[in-house]
Amino acid sequence: MKSWIAHPRFLSTLLSGVVLSATSAAALADETCSSPYLARIEGQEEFLYVWTLGVEGMGDGSDKLVTVDVNPGSPTFGTVIAQHSVGGRHEAHHGGFTDDRRQLWLAGLGSSTIFIYDVASDPARPRLMKTIGDFEKATGGAAGPHGAYALPGRVLIPCLSNGTDHTGRTALVEYGNDGGYITTHWMPTREAAGLPGAEFADGYGYDARVLPRKNVMLTSSFSGRNNYLRPLGEVVKDPEAMKQFGGTMVLWDFHTRKPRKVFQVPGAPLEIRWAWGATHPYAFTATALTSKLWLCFEDAHGEWQAEEVATLGGPGGVLPVDMSLSADDSTLFVDGFGDGVCRVFDVSDPHRPRQIHEKKIGRQLNMVSQSWDGKRLYFSSSLLANWDKSGADNEQFVRAYGWDGRELTPRFDLDFAALKLGRPHHMLFGSTKVGR
Amino acid sequence: MKLQILLLAVVTMTTAASAIDDLRSADHDYESPKPGTYSLPVLRPASDGRLLDTSGNPVRLADLTSGRITVMSFIYTRCTAVRACPMATGVLSQLHRESADDPALSKSLRLVSLSFDPEQDSPARMAEYSALFSRRMNAAPWHFMTTRSPEDLRPILSAYDQAVDRKQNPLDRTGPLHHTVRVLLIDRSGNIRNIYGSSTLDPRLVLADVRTLMMETASLAQQH
Repeated sequence: MKSWIAHPRFLSTLLSGVVLSATSAAALADETCSSPYLARIEGQEEFLYVWTLGVEGMGDGSDKLVTVDVNPGSPTFGTVIAQHSVGGRHEAHHGGFTDDRRQLWLAGLGSSTIFIYDVASDPARPRLMKTIGDFEKATGGAAGPHGAYALPGRVLIPCLSNGTDHTGRTALVEYGNDGGYITTHWMPTREAAGLPGAEFADGYGYDARVLPRKNVMLTSSFSGRNNYLRPLGEVVKDPEAMKQFGGTMVLWDFHTRKPRKVFQVPGAPLEIRWAWGATHPYAFTATALTSKLWLCFEDAHGEWQAEEVATLGGPGGVLPVDMSLSADDSTLFVDGFGDGVCRVFDVSDPHRPRQIHEKKIGRQLNMVSQSWDGKRLYFSSSLLANWDKSGADNEQFVRAYGWDGRELTPRFDLDFAALKLGRPHHMLFGSTKVGR
Repeated sequence: MKLQILLLAVVTMTTAASAIDDLRSADHDYESPKPGTYSLPVLRPASDGRLLDTSGNPVRLADLTSGRITVMSFIYTRCTAVRACPMATGVLSQLHRESADDPALSKSLRLVSLSFDPEQDSPARMAEYSALFSRRMNAAPWHFMTTRSPEDLRPILSAYDQAVDRKQNPLDRTGPLHHTVRVLLIDRSGNIRNIYGSSTLDPRLVLADVRTLMMETASLAQQH
């Protein structure tokens, strides 16, 4: 009998694994801005998980995880099929999956609480399985967990603040997939001896994202609890408060978790979007207060740089918030909270973005999530409980659009206020079909 | 003849491959960190479990996760996904080869390949699999293990956070199981110090981490 181990396919594949450069599992789909370490869903997303802020007097008033059916073949397409309240209001903000996609971690900026859901047993009905309530104590004072970013066997939680002075001085925190605390990395400050750009270092944080093939991580910077829990109208009128916004990005050696360089990027750089292409060593970010698009890139000499590459909107700015880069790195969607417009840029030349389309999505606009094939985008409205607009401008929605390469066209619209759900924030894809 | 050529190719590639430090590639396009210039926090204690060795003898997993620095990979031998088990075994093979030329590394390191497919990966099958890799003089010990049953395996997978699911198509060309890639670095005291996935499974990083733990041990010994 021929030995199984003699099978040519086994041996040739083994050789490939040992010798050849590995290639990514490109056949799998997902949301384009998810962690590169995340197990990907296969094909069309089936569910949209919406981390939603509770509103006093609206429904039960609690923060909740809302599940929307987004499978076009389903009889409940475009409707809410499940919701689970976590109890109380925690300033629901961002979330993320563990690398095996079995758990969805949701962070509360206000209470520094992490809610961990099982999304593997029944992806249509996530089940709360654990709550981390001692985050500030366990992490040595980090506060305002911003989200969760999948790493192998653990999650990286970039924070916005600290439990002492509530400024933007903060840290990156790591937890194991089992919910156990691992370590805290405080953001670099001006005292960081020998660090290039240390003179700009403010110690602030916001997003954290990794480019594995270059072993680099980028972080951005926003503001602390003193500002993000305070009404926006008060903050902008307070000169001292306006001084307490981040103006830096930090490039880290990811494996050692040591900062390598600090870039001066004025005006609160927020979301970081790495390009996916194998020869694209760059990432975009947008600055909320100065309405600029920035590019962080490795130059021809192997040095990492940051440069402003575009202005968003006209004078006064649009308060750019979330953005989404297409999987082929050609198209960047940038949401403006101020004018509720999504601007679409051709970024085939990342140093010279060219706006090709814009669409008014609503009276206020924050998050955007895009499918891997670039054909479907989902938008949500809420920024922060005390920063959202008031009166008729305080629309609260999840809206799905199609993208054909030229324009955005509506697919479905969910009014989260009418449904008495709350303020929808981060949206993540779910599916019953998950590769590993 | 084809088989012999392929076997020869395997042996050639796993015994005469480039030194680990020369393995910079498009997928791992960076300088490897210098061992000892960074720290590796404890993630959690490595759990115990009941295993079988390639002769079918019972072994405690705890006996394979203490006393030496252990690099442990979860695999199944039917896996042919390029970035999964073959790659993990390839990285362990690189470490094995490196240890054959480095007495200090050989003395400090242990390699473990543990199957999560006990119904197919019998001790005999693991023995046949191991024969491709582990025959190097003076190299660190490399243990190929399986379990008696899915019941013995289940708590191990849970404790080590190793996701394994059956694919809808059991005839999938890359093998019948979905799984995350998990390679673990465990220190001499039995604490997990790093976890590598397919994107971070760079043999240079794993070796730098092993050497960092070796230096940590030496430093502790000096203090005492």
